[in-house]
Amino acid sequence: MDILVIHLFNALLYTSVLFLIAGGLSLIYGVMRIVNLAHGNLFAIGAFVTASAVGQWFAGSTSAWLFLLLPAGAVAAALLGAVLEPTLLRPFYRRPEEYQLLVTYGILMILEDLIRFIWGPYPVTATSLFEKMGSMTVGEWIYPRYNLLVIAIGGVAAVGLWAFIYKTRFGVLLRATSQDMRRASALGVNVNYVYVLAFTIGCFMAGLGGAIVVPSQSAVLGMGVDALVLSFIVVVVGGLGSLDGAMVGALIVGVLRETAVSVFPELELAVLYLIAAIVLLVRPAGLFGKAT
Amino acid sequence: MSDRPSRRDFLSKLGVTTAAAVGGSLAGVGLAGVARAEDKPKGTIPDKPFKIGHMTFFTGAGAVLGEPMYKGNLLAADEINATGGLLGKRKIEILKADEAAGTDANTKEMRRLKLSEKIDMFMGITSSGNTPALGPVAEELKLLTIFVDGCTDFLFDKAVPNPRYIFRITNIQSADGATCAVGVALTWPSIKTVAHIHPDYSYGRNCFDHFSIVTKKLLPKASNVSEAWPKLFSTDFTPHITKTLAAKPDLLVTSLWGGDYVAFYKQALQHGLFTKMKVATTLALGAAPQSIGKDHPEGVLSGVHSNYHFSYPAGNRWPLNKTFVEKYHAKFNEYPNFQAEGAYTATYALKTALEKANKLMGGWPDDDAIISQLEGMMIPGPGGYVYIRPDNHQGYKDAITGFSKNVPEYPFPILDPERIITIPIRNITSPPGWPKGDPTSTYTWIDQTWPTVKTT
Repeated sequence: MDILVIHLFNALLYTSVLFLIAGGLSLIYGVMRIVNLAHGNLFAIGAFVTASAVGQWFAGSTSAWLFLLLPAGAVAAALLGAVLEPTLLRPFYRRPEEYQLLVTYGILMILEDLIRFIWGPYPVTATSLFEKMGSMTVGEWIYPRYNLLVIAIGGVAAVGLWAFIYKTRFGVLLRATSQDMRRASALGVNVNYVYVLAFTIGCFMAGLGGAIVVPSQSAVLGMGVDALVLSFIVVVVGGLGSLDGAMVGALIVGVLRETAVSVFPELELAVLYLIAAIVLLVRPAGLFGKAT
Repeated sequence: MSDRPSRRDFLSKLGVTTAAAVGGSLAGVGLAGVARAEDKPKGTIPDKPFKIGHMTFFTGAGAVLGEPMYKGNLLAADEINATGGLLGKRKIEILKADEAAGTDANTKEMRRLKLSEKIDMFMGITSSGNTPALGPVAEELKLLTIFVDGCTDFLFDKAVPNPRYIFRITNIQSADGATCAVGVALTWPSIKTVAHIHPDYSYGRNCFDHFSIVTKKLLPKASNVSEAWPKLFSTDFTPHITKTLAAKPDLLVTSLWGGDYVAFYKQALQHGLFTKMKVATTLALGAAPQSIGKDHPEGVLSGVHSNYHFSYPAGNRWPLNKTFVEKYHAKFNEYPNFQAEGAYTATYALKTALEKANKLMGGWPDDDAIISQLEGMMIPGPGGYVYIRPDNHQGYKDAITGFSKNVPEYPFPILDPERIITIPIRNITSPPGWPKGDPTSTYTWIDQTWPTVKTT
């Protein structure tokens, strides 16, 4: 029985991080119709900045300070997003989608090199928080408490985002712009402002995903591209542009991976692509996506 | 079977030693590092630069191995250039290429380097996926090549079974799993149940195969109770750790490396894994020695790709290692890994071949002359003697592994100097004349020629 609880924790841990990355990607697409290929490396920026903040710059601080510093990577990714959108993306909105793909892919590559330039080729770790929180026992199992914090942050982020989009005035503007950008603009919505904010929030989520994995994992080169591929699987399953879809997609991927590792270890990699392929065959727009 | 040897007898026949072994006489090892004054090259040597195309991972997670490889090549080149260059005249010029571009792009880049940049030689390569693709291209281009790693047995078993222009310097991949298994049989002979966590690509599969075939012979009562195959370059191992703990094995074997291994051991610590089982690894301290923390448990069988750890041979027992580590650390402010040692040794193998060929023929030797000198060459590198077999152009050096230990001198664990395990490489790799086998020649050789030991 206890082992089921552990499996559930593991699946939710993966789901939380996946939701943060894929949710940001989906939000940006939902509002701006941009497939942001650079998204993976905003996740990586979040990881590296937090790794430096917690593991190097302020490594000697008390635990309380370190917890407050944890979102540093998310803030860095958000700031970067707030600069990237008006400078590099906005000039391409009127052009065909291929241009946006090329530009965001270019940004992905540039960020990858920038990370290597700043942090070098070796893994950066910042495990003090992970270690300080220690482990708890579940029956005969020992389980790191930090993992539960990650699950909680993922949950809070999901609820917070939902409340922001469905319960605030800005959320109404966001949804209006998402449904019909021209009409929203004609009614006086400052579309540029909505876009930059949506993009910034999306980047913040990716950065937060990166920030919270650092204490228990590490920041490594190439983690952004990996995260991008995984978040594509999530949005293919859930439907691009839908937050509910990102949530359900992340949950499906999290549970499937956990099951595959413990029951069919050889299929760990294949199972994620299999589910994406099946969803594409049965519901090409994804479980929560709207066919256009 | 009453004529089966005991495990102890067989291990001693394999020549496995656990004390810190003495490397042999020091006479005549001044080859790397110090040029002897009387070695004046014969004939006229051109002074145009000698171009080496160095392809390795400069981006992505593979850079943890690629970067030190390039640095090893660079250090040797700088040393040689400081004495005037190859044969005293030709300065080495290194052209970098990023292996992360992908296998197809890498073959194109190799062609471009040869045809447009007119490189004299190709060096590098980290991934086992790339050497089998680049090897045949180098042969076709007649491009003198020393692969540093990309150590898959497949390269010289199948892809290029009769190499002419390509060589490879670091130990063949099968040595890793075999070395790890010999270390386990020697250290924990009573283990019965084994769990595996390997990255799901050729290296992980190869380690699993060769660990398994050696344990079948040396620990016939041991059986596999769990397998997990995480994606290469992933950092969340909680499901794999859960699965391993649930199987309650005596031993966990893992070939995770680099950032993957760092993330794995940190998570395993918080799950109490190291207190519940023995752990044996093939590459834990091999990728980036300084990236493992002091929180890493001691006494873990810590592989170094069966090649090299900068802390061995220690002290001044093998002066080449002492000077290499000091120079490398002074230049790059980090400690060399096996890739750095491999690339450094490869560069000096080239230098040595050129000098020998020059002595025989005078002038700048052509590729055929260089190749004839590389074939069968035995040279001392920082890690020990490397022998380049003439039939398959593969470098062989005695395999090493050991146990993680924290010492005051370093802010990270090193191999316990008191318990280094060394194995003569000829005793764990298939010999010349052995038929090419499947999955590897070494696998069939172990399977068919090693006895299954008696158990009590």
